[in-house]
Amino acid sequence: MEALICPAVIIMVISITVFSYLRNTARKKTPAPAAGKKEFQPVYISIADKPESIMRGMDRFVAEVNRTESAGDKWRWVPMIIFLGGLGVMAIDGLLFLFGYRSLVFVSGGALLWISAIVMARSLRKSDSKDFSPRYKSTKTILYTLRDDLKPSGTFNGHLDLTGAMLKSKIARETKDRRDRTTQYFRDEWLSLKAKLYDGNVLRVSAIQRSKQRQPYWKRSQISGKMKQKPAKFKGSEQQLKVRIAVNPAAYQIVSSPQFRQGMNIGKYTISQLNTEGGIIDVVASSPFEEIEHEHILGFLRSAYSLLQRKAV
Amino acid sequence: MSRKIIPFVVAGILVCLVMVVAGIFSFGGSVSAQKFGSDVAWSRPYTGAESMKILDLTGDGQNDLFIQSPENLTVLDETGEPIFGFGYQSMKTTLGDVNGDNVEDIVVFHIDAGASVDVISKGQRTKLATSLTIGFPSRVAVIRFSSGPQIVLGDSSGNILSLGTDGAPRWDAKLGSDEVRGMDDVKIDGQTFVAIATYDGSLAVFDGQGKAIWRGSQEQLRRMRAFDMNGDGTGEIITGGEFGAFKIYSAADGSLLFEKSLGQAISEVREVELNGDPSSREIVAGGKEGGVWAFTFDGTTASQIWSGSMSDKVTEIAGIDIDDDGKEEAVIGDDNGKVAIFTGNGSRNNLPDRTSGIARVDVGKLGTERYVVVADMSEIQVNKVNFSSIPGFQYTPLIVGLIVSVVILVIAGILASIPKKPEMKVSFQDTSIESLNAQRRMLKESIADVERLRKAGEVTGDAYLARLKRLRGDLADNESAFKKQGYNIKIETIQCPNCGGTLELGMDKCEYCGQVLLS
Repeated sequence: MEALICPAVIIMVISITVFSYLRNTARKKTPAPAAGKKEFQPVYISIADKPESIMRGMDRFVAEVNRTESAGDKWRWVPMIIFLGGLGVMAIDGLLFLFGYRSLVFVSGGALLWISAIVMARSLRKSDSKDFSPRYKSTKTILYTLRDDLKPSGTFNGHLDLTGAMLKSKIARETKDRRDRTTQYFRDEWLSLKAKLYDGNVLRVSAIQRSKQRQPYWKRSQISGKMKQKPAKFKGSEQQLKVRIAVNPAAYQIVSSPQFRQGMNIGKYTISQLNTEGGIIDVVASSPFEEIEHEHILGFLRSAYSLLQRKAV
Repeated sequence: MSRKIIPFVVAGILVCLVMVVAGIFSFGGSVSAQKFGSDVAWSRPYTGAESMKILDLTGDGQNDLFIQSPENLTVLDETGEPIFGFGYQSMKTTLGDVNGDNVEDIVVFHIDAGASVDVISKGQRTKLATSLTIGFPSRVAVIRFSSGPQIVLGDSSGNILSLGTDGAPRWDAKLGSDEVRGMDDVKIDGQTFVAIATYDGSLAVFDGQGKAIWRGSQEQLRRMRAFDMNGDGTGEIITGGEFGAFKIYSAADGSLLFEKSLGQAISEVREVELNGDPSSREIVAGGKEGGVWAFTFDGTTASQIWSGSMSDKVTEIAGIDIDDDGKEEAVIGDDNGKVAIFTGNGSRNNLPDRTSGIARVDVGKLGTERYVVVADMSEIQVNKVNFSSIPGFQYTPLIVGLIVSVVILVIAGILASIPKKPEMKVSFQDTSIESLNAQRRMLKESIADVERLRKAGEVTGDAYLARLKRLRGDLADNESAFKKQGYNIKIETIQCPNCGGTLELGMDKCEYCGQVLLS
């Protein structure tokens, strides 16, 4: 009987591990965490088309992702059923053992079924997708709002980069402090748009997220004297909006506006730089908020137009 | 290949693999559900058994159970009742027909008036010889030489003395200087000889006149047995060494036919017909640390079939065909009181434990039934060993294989039905020349922007290169779109032949991987 305890414990541990894995895999996407950052679907969209085509394409893309996910969702319970089937098959060997026979045929078959269940669960997981970032919808709304201001048959050019703000490829620079701790500065230009407008102006908009994170480092504990690793620490982020309007001199002249000058708050943004020399309006605004809704970007663009005065025809 | 087909191709390969393996297990005969058990027919106390044999010693046509300890020998009937028994001092015994009445006699080599030999025939004791010129009893054997039967005695100093059936000394010899550990009759070209081995590793084959056919030596040995393993009329001598050497010699000339180190002292060697094929004989060896090995001899050399283990020193090995399949199973006892049955493929099945170490195991018919008799240090137990198996169980791998195959195919079907996940890099591109030109301008502006940021120190290192690589890639896509639509375009990008990254035309070194560009 003692000889049985060890294999039985091993089988039980493996069973529980496989069951837990399959149960977690069978679950629908985990909801947004109560604290911390939620992860979104990493998407990169290259934009060079008419607004309607872009919006249609964006909707179609979301539909395709959802279709793949729901096709996978439909079968999520199958790996669990196969696991339980495998358990049942294995139990036959247990039953035989109780009758004094030794067999590993059904245990082997059950193990193969478990492997199949794990492979299936992993494959189904590939169809999973995360939620789309709110920026995806915001960008679509911005494109929708600006569609009538575009030069007839004109296109939007640029990109929407939702692959993540703190990727290695987005490290702008690194600094070290006196204690040799590295801080990384990220620059994520998540939205870049250029469009020739109906009034002859050329509009360029860039939305940039700047983030700062201290890298993990080793520190000797003052109490125990042991080396301990301190985890990476997020030190905050800010949003930046760069707007550049090359003004059509035949239609507008640039004037100063009391509602739009350096230091003014426009929605969530504060204008930090404003330059109107050479017939081009160059504005840089920043915001301490981590997320900026589309109405703030559109509101900022509308406010920037207060610097333009239409010439008399 | 279509992604709808790939899961089925993979599934097909897996199903074939599963079914081939299932077929191998099913038709290879390695899968069975069988169990061995035993019921005790009778038992009786007996201390210190040293030799035990099931044989007809009374001439009534019914087997009896002979058992012997250093001080006592007893013959029991089929029900365990004593028929006769005698007490001796420091005796060694053997069984053989000495008086030619076709009933096996008990030959007792013991210390009485000096070294003496008694013959017990059908319970009648006869003093055959006394005051023999040989030392302390170690081994005795009745050898049926072609010139007639002789009683060969071996003592604890390597002295050998052969007596005729009348008790008269025939010949004597000296082999080594240590205790005689093995004495067996052996055939050479159909003639009978005696093979003798001593603990110090001396080994020799003698003829009926005491002439050594050959002599040899090896490491100290614990066991020696002689069998004609290939049925060619010339036997083979098997030795088990103190330091693990398992050797098979030709009885004709002492040439070594097989040698293997088993890593522990070899405490027992027996022949067991494990595969049921009489053209090849199987040998089972047991070790001092509990190791069990089975070898087969094909006529010229041996090879190991399987190995297993007991929990302590193997003290006895016996062969019995329990499941009536024509193949013997090896019944093995150890010093810890465990008795196990090893089948032809080496799987171990335990029989009930004994309270003291196993001394002897023998198999034979008592009355009308075949029994496994186990003698431990305090008791003899006669067991009826039974066997049961589930009919058709060997085909269960095929059934299990089919179930697994069906599941694999269902999984393949489900996975094939799931649409491909879209690429997470999408491009919405108008293909009019105005739009492509606008995109091209935008990309160049963006590249210029990145360069400006780098100069300003706002973007450095990897981020700069990653952004540049992406923009240049988009520029290359834009050029491709131009060409695809048949518009004229001045190509301004090239691809790095090493990393595939897009570079501006005219660059002589890849910014991403450092490759020198010669074109």
